[in-house]
Amino acid sequence: MVGDNVNRRAKKEELDEDHSEIYYEDTSVRELLTLMKDNSELVADLAYAAIVFENEELAEEVRHLESEMDKMMYQIRLKSMLGARKQKDAEQLSGLLQVASAAEQISDAAEDMAKIIDADVDLTPILPHILSDAEEKVFTLKIEQGSDLDDKSLGELRLEAVTGVRVIAIRRSRRWIYGANSRTTLKAGDMLIVRAHEDGYEKLWPVAHAEKRWGEVIK
Amino acid sequence: MKEVEKELIEMKNTSELMLDLAYSSLLYHNREIAEEVFNLEQKVNDLQESVIMKILENNEDSETDKSLILLKVADSIERFADAALDIADVVLRDIDLHPVIKKSLEDSDEFMVRREIKKGSFLDGKTLEESEMATKIGMKVIAIRRGENWAYGPDKKIKLKAGDVIFARGPKESDVPLKGWVENE
Repeated sequence: MVGDNVNRRAKKEELDEDHSEIYYEDTSVRELLTLMKDNSELVADLAYAAIVFENEELAEEVRHLESEMDKMMYQIRLKSMLGARKQKDAEQLSGLLQVASAAEQISDAAEDMAKIIDADVDLTPILPHILSDAEEKVFTLKIEQGSDLDDKSLGELRLEAVTGVRVIAIRRSRRWIYGANSRTTLKAGDMLIVRAHEDGYEKLWPVAHAEKRWGEVIK
Repeated sequence: MKEVEKELIEMKNTSELMLDLAYSSLLYHNREIAEEVFNLEQKVNDLQESVIMKILENNEDSETDKSLILLKVADSIERFADAALDIADVVLRDIDLHPVIKKSLEDSDEFMVRREIKKGSFLDGKTLEESEMATKIGMKVIAIRRGENWAYGPDKKIKLKAGDVIFARGPKESDVPLKGWVENE
């Protein structure tokens, strides 16, 4: 697999810069819960990707997200307590906190899963094989020079909507971009980590490799 | 070991379906979907137990490191399933859901939608496989309700019929094409 040619020493400061967007000091309960829900899905995908590609940086991002989730959990607890005035508020907020806490538990389990690669055991014969038969799998996808995907945002392409391929992370030279959104622009040379059905991946592959035009795929 | 691999994959697929169903049950305050999450949790537990038994029975000393890794993967997956159960549990209590929960889920990047298939629409009479919904519009059907009956994590060969209600997840912008697929235009 392609995971091993991934650069293992991305600059920590660069990573931290990227994350500053994810976490706001003063966020409402509603925003916190949305973030926690989205993160719970991203972190599980990243953990599977980390063990399938035995990639230290993806595992590091799982750890980072987990610690962000801890902070968010603390904030959402404080804000909920301040918001409860009556018995009914307290009952409803306790349900809301249970959802938040479940999302946080997912990141804990994901962190433990990603830790597997720290053990000095070669995982290649077992894990990629095991996870390769799941309904949706994680793949790597390189965007080659001349590809129609170059310099297009995910929103412009409507990538997930027309191929079912979801971008989990992007490696761009020495940097990583996690939790891509519709404004994220793809560049030639990018290595994408995606989650997809095999069919969707096979549809996108020739476009990424500049062997087919995007227009032919989405017709 | 082949069996163990199969069961681990089954655990992974089931835990992901559980999480989708759990968030969906929360969004629609739907007890039936929440109850299915409880049924699936039992399935994940049984699978995990079977994985553990098989690994212990077949373990050779030289392979202990690898066995341990497989056990850890199974453990994490089982905890994903537990988290889904905790979410579904909120729906099954006799307390109204906090209104912010629904709003938060609606703000999420990953969109949940419920749509009824109309007579003569594109999806009427098609299987999920034929519709190519997952790869053409990126929508994944997590449940189908037909009258009183439910199909969770439905088989790709199930033929959709007018009157079926589908629960799907996918990117927000796919709701427009999906709407076109369920309506009779």
